[in-house]
Amino acid sequence: MNKPDEKKSRWTRFSAWVNGKSVIIPEEDLFPGGDLRPAPGKKCGREFCRSAEREGERLYSFLSGYTFAAVVVGVIVIGILMATVMALPRFGQPDNPTNNEVSQRYLEKGEEETGAPNAVSGMILNYRGFDTFGESCVLFLAVSCVFMLLLRDEKNTHPKDLAQIAREEAADDSSRDVILQQVSSMIIPFIFLFGIYTLLNGHLSPGGGFSGGSMLGGGLILYVAAYGSRKIQRFFNGKVYNIARVCGLMLYAILFGYYIFTGANGLPNHIPLSIGGLILPIDVAVGLVVACTMYGFYAMFTKGEL
Amino acid sequence: MRALLENRFAVTAVILFGIGLANMLLQKNLIKKIVGFNIMDSAVFLLLASRGFVEGRVAPIVAEGMADASLYINPIPSGLVLTGIVVSVSISAFSLALVQRIYHAYGTIELDELVMRVKKEAD
Repeated sequence: MNKPDEKKSRWTRFSAWVNGKSVIIPEEDLFPGGDLRPAPGKKCGREFCRSAEREGERLYSFLSGYTFAAVVVGVIVIGILMATVMALPRFGQPDNPTNNEVSQRYLEKGEEETGAPNAVSGMILNYRGFDTFGESCVLFLAVSCVFMLLLRDEKNTHPKDLAQIAREEAADDSSRDVILQQVSSMIIPFIFLFGIYTLLNGHLSPGGGFSGGSMLGGGLILYVAAYGSRKIQRFFNGKVYNIARVCGLMLYAILFGYYIFTGANGLPNHIPLSIGGLILPIDVAVGLVVACTMYGFYAMFTKGEL
Repeated sequence: MRALLENRFAVTAVILFGIGLANMLLQKNLIKKIVGFNIMDSAVFLLLASRGFVEGRVAPIVAEGMADASLYINPIPSGLVLTGIVVSVSISAFSLALVQRIYHAYGTIELDELVMRVKKEAD
């Protein structure tokens, strides 16, 4: 096989993979020499066995050297880290260099500047709001990438697999777990209530967008596990899901941009501090993104569709 | 020895980090590698959270009229741990999705078998 040919075939394979067609490639094309492992109860052809053995020996010699190198690297890293630990200041002392004027300022001025008695919430959503915006983008991008990799439809999945999934779903629908359904019908309302409470109370007590959003996502996951995907699609299908997560991120961007342009850093802005200032609406936006991310991961890894 | 005992959380974090690193380097199964990566993440979170603690102080939720920094622990490491958790969750989900695709394409997630199959395919 000459070079450009190989390159071209690689490129076509890559573009097929990007377009989600790689799964349709029949097995004979994927493994030109046939399956490497001998079929059970059957002696493999001499040619394959020998080449596989040779390949395995080469790999084995490489891997034994690799193991040694890995152990050495690991021991060196742990040694360096332990030496650093010996030089660290004592644990839990008030005059440690980490407890400097920055944290003092956040604690003393935080409530009057951000309207959040919870100093961590005030810090991550107001003083360091850009950082948290980046985090929300990371979550958004992660769930988008998982969508790209795992979303199943007619184009990228073998019809046999699709038929099997449909069969399994039908079997699941006909025999749902009664205990799971009864218990979850009792506790799902409380999970959602507690999630919303944590979300809306994030500036006053431990909690906020990330923990409240995870609880809401967990409630959605329990609902799907108990009642099946057909039932949740009546109110939470792919379209609603996409609107919710895009709206969450947009809401955050618009609110934080508004806050920056009307005077950040304690200068007057137009949201009254008595209702938590900017913290409350941004918490809701973060909660939307996080809940959608949690549910999206679950849906992608179990079924490959929303 | 006393320094190690005083910084016991940092020592635990280093040990956990070492376990995670060894898992990542030595395991042949891709999912076990990801588990090792998560153990390393936990070690970093433990170290950060322990750095924020101050003896005899309470969680940084400022009570009415008690905005005195000498009463509360340091809130900054807690915020950094939050960032770390978000990144860790995202990376774990993404790499697990990649592993699932690898399994669909090659039928194995053991690294040595995988290398052999990729080589076979390239020939």
